[in-house]
Amino acid sequence: MKLKGSEILMECLLEQEVDTIFGYPGGTILNVYDSLVKYRDRINHILTAHEQGASHAADGYARSTGKVGVAFSTSGPGATNLTTGVATAYMDSSPVVFISCNVADNLIGKDSFQEVDSTGVMLPITKSNFQVTDVKKLAGTVRRAFAIARSGRPGPVFIDILKNVTAEEAEYEFIPKQKHKEAGVLKAVYDRNMVDYHKPEIDEDDINKLVEMIGESEKPMLICGGGVVRGRAHEEFNKFANLADSPTAVTVMGGGGMNGRNPLVTGMIGMHGSQASNIGVDECDLLIAVGCRFSDRVALDPETFAAKAKIVHIDIDRSEINKNVQTDHHIVGDAKRVLEKLNERLSQQDHSEWKKFVFSYPTETEYEDGGDTLNPKQLCSTIAKLMPEDTMVATDVGQHQMWAIQHFHFDYPGQLLTSGGFGTMGFGLGAAIGAKVGNPDKTVIHIAGDGSFRMNCNELTTVEHYKLPIITFVFNNGTLGMVRQWQNLIYKGNISETNMDRGPDFVKLAEAYGLKGRRVSNQEELADAIKDALASGSGYIIDCMLDIDEMVRPMVGGGSHITDFMRT
Amino acid sequence: MKGIFSVLVENKDGVLSAVSGLFARRGFNIDTLAVGETDKHDISSMTITSTGDQRTIDQIEKQLNKNVDVIKVRRLAESKSVCIEMILVKAAYNMSNRSSLIELCQIVGAKIMKVAPKYLLLEYHAEPEAVEGFIDLLRSYGIIEIQRTGTIAMEK
Repeated sequence: MKLKGSEILMECLLEQEVDTIFGYPGGTILNVYDSLVKYRDRINHILTAHEQGASHAADGYARSTGKVGVAFSTSGPGATNLTTGVATAYMDSSPVVFISCNVADNLIGKDSFQEVDSTGVMLPITKSNFQVTDVKKLAGTVRRAFAIARSGRPGPVFIDILKNVTAEEAEYEFIPKQKHKEAGVLKAVYDRNMVDYHKPEIDEDDINKLVEMIGESEKPMLICGGGVVRGRAHEEFNKFANLADSPTAVTVMGGGGMNGRNPLVTGMIGMHGSQASNIGVDECDLLIAVGCRFSDRVALDPETFAAKAKIVHIDIDRSEINKNVQTDHHIVGDAKRVLEKLNERLSQQDHSEWKKFVFSYPTETEYEDGGDTLNPKQLCSTIAKLMPEDTMVATDVGQHQMWAIQHFHFDYPGQLLTSGGFGTMGFGLGAAIGAKVGNPDKTVIHIAGDGSFRMNCNELTTVEHYKLPIITFVFNNGTLGMVRQWQNLIYKGNISETNMDRGPDFVKLAEAYGLKGRRVSNQEELADAIKDALASGSGYIIDCMLDIDEMVRPMVGGGSHITDFMRT
Repeated sequence: MKGIFSVLVENKDGVLSAVSGLFARRGFNIDTLAVGETDKHDISSMTITSTGDQRTIDQIEKQLNKNVDVIKVRRLAESKSVCIEMILVKAAYNMSNRSSLIELCQIVGAKIMKVAPKYLLLEYHAEPEAVEGFIDLLRSYGIIEIQRTGTIAMEK
């Protein structure tokens, strides 16, 4: 049947079983929004306050559901406002299709109103991107974009559609998602056998060699990385850790890839890693990293990282092997399938002595009683105690993020939503909106710092309008805490532009947006506020007062040896 | 070490900038880059030469493979492939050295495309090392302008 470009786009989204879109309309995308009205019964559009909010929401939706997220924006500033969210999704391998329209073909390249070279801007921060200049190619492009976003190592894909294409008509034929490989442009691409669309075949010899290495190891250590989460391989990973009887460190992105209460967990690894994790990695004789890219925040000094160990890397992305750290053995493949194969062949190991050594070091940091303010651990443990165990946690970036990851336990993929790679302040509220929309039955909380929260708190309007009962905890220490911590530790206490000694009053801000808010400075007040927030069933801000000089501990300086803990 | 990559890519907008951007973003060198359509109009072929340590050259291959618009990457060994570069060059002459320049062209097999009052426009193609050698020899005459295609290569 003949359809307009904007309708073909909607039909293609339905082919992909998309039922939720986050976005913001504008001049060039008007035709698409015009058609959206007709599809309102099948596609739920969430209007955010800002395109950046939409980008983080689509990302949070993708991370928490495992499905591909979708965000819409108009051309020019609409598209550039998406970019921070696109880069955030790219660095953390989150599958999102971002769709923007551009000026019509008679205006392209003429510096027209709201025109920007969107695909050029998106190039280094997407897995792939497309500009659609011919309505006949629209359906194929959308199908291909979704296939790329979810295949192999997932990631964001950007589609730029010229405005005239959304108005022009073309023949459209419904093809179910499962059949896309057999039709049109995707068939041609599959036939060329491009590596990226397929899960790499796992080499059996590689598996056998690793099983042998584990058998020979007396002091094994595991790292659970973001690939375990994206690959939804948590059950397989837990089983593997138990069979190998190996202490397991978890990266920021790996939160939820291992059952957080499994006694083998040594806590976070790296710059703010626990002593047990960092010393374990330094002392082990075999280090198996699954879905982890040895970033500079984990393998702080790649030359001395796990120097006493044979390093084994399991990853779906071949380009990650030997990129940052030289490995002794690697397996390229999907975490779930690799771990399944390993679990079939691995016999139960016993490393009681080694575990005793590793767990003689703390897995969590204890803080002194906060007095008239809360301390980070009190704050996190009170929240954890009063919230359902499977609560989803979206964070912003900074000290509060590290504290949340250090002190909460995450048990399943998607439970922790955090910007690990790009470190995007202001990610949390949008991500929480995406998570709540995608998981209406789950309790969703947003952990923010006062600095991060100021950046994108405009999305409170979205929280209120769509009646999303998201509780925001502002870890309010009146400063950009992480930067202040560096200024104190590395810049000799020369505090420069990190004091947040200014408004707004977050409780009044909540009220201005039609939400409730409370300020708390001890555990009783906090507990009371949480109960009120849960009972209210609406969006809620709890402004939690912390001491300005509270630090994230332990800390190892960038580029330093992983056990060179600073005096904090 | 030197890396020679023969890369088949989709012939679509932005692929060239994606590939060159990849090199820029990750701090890899591009020594030469030659691009052209293959016998199939929807597929282009690139020859890229680069220098770096073993790990860098390995990374280049993996990163190229990762790009979804790249269809196939082949790393060519210099000894097992034919590598050719072509140049157009205006070499200056005067009455005293004109015949030696013409003689030089005859010896290496460079074609004289145009004789101008003050220069010869030469076309020369050969293995990259021979091209470098020829350019060096021309320096003593004076090079007015030079255009190079960059290396193209194919496995034997």
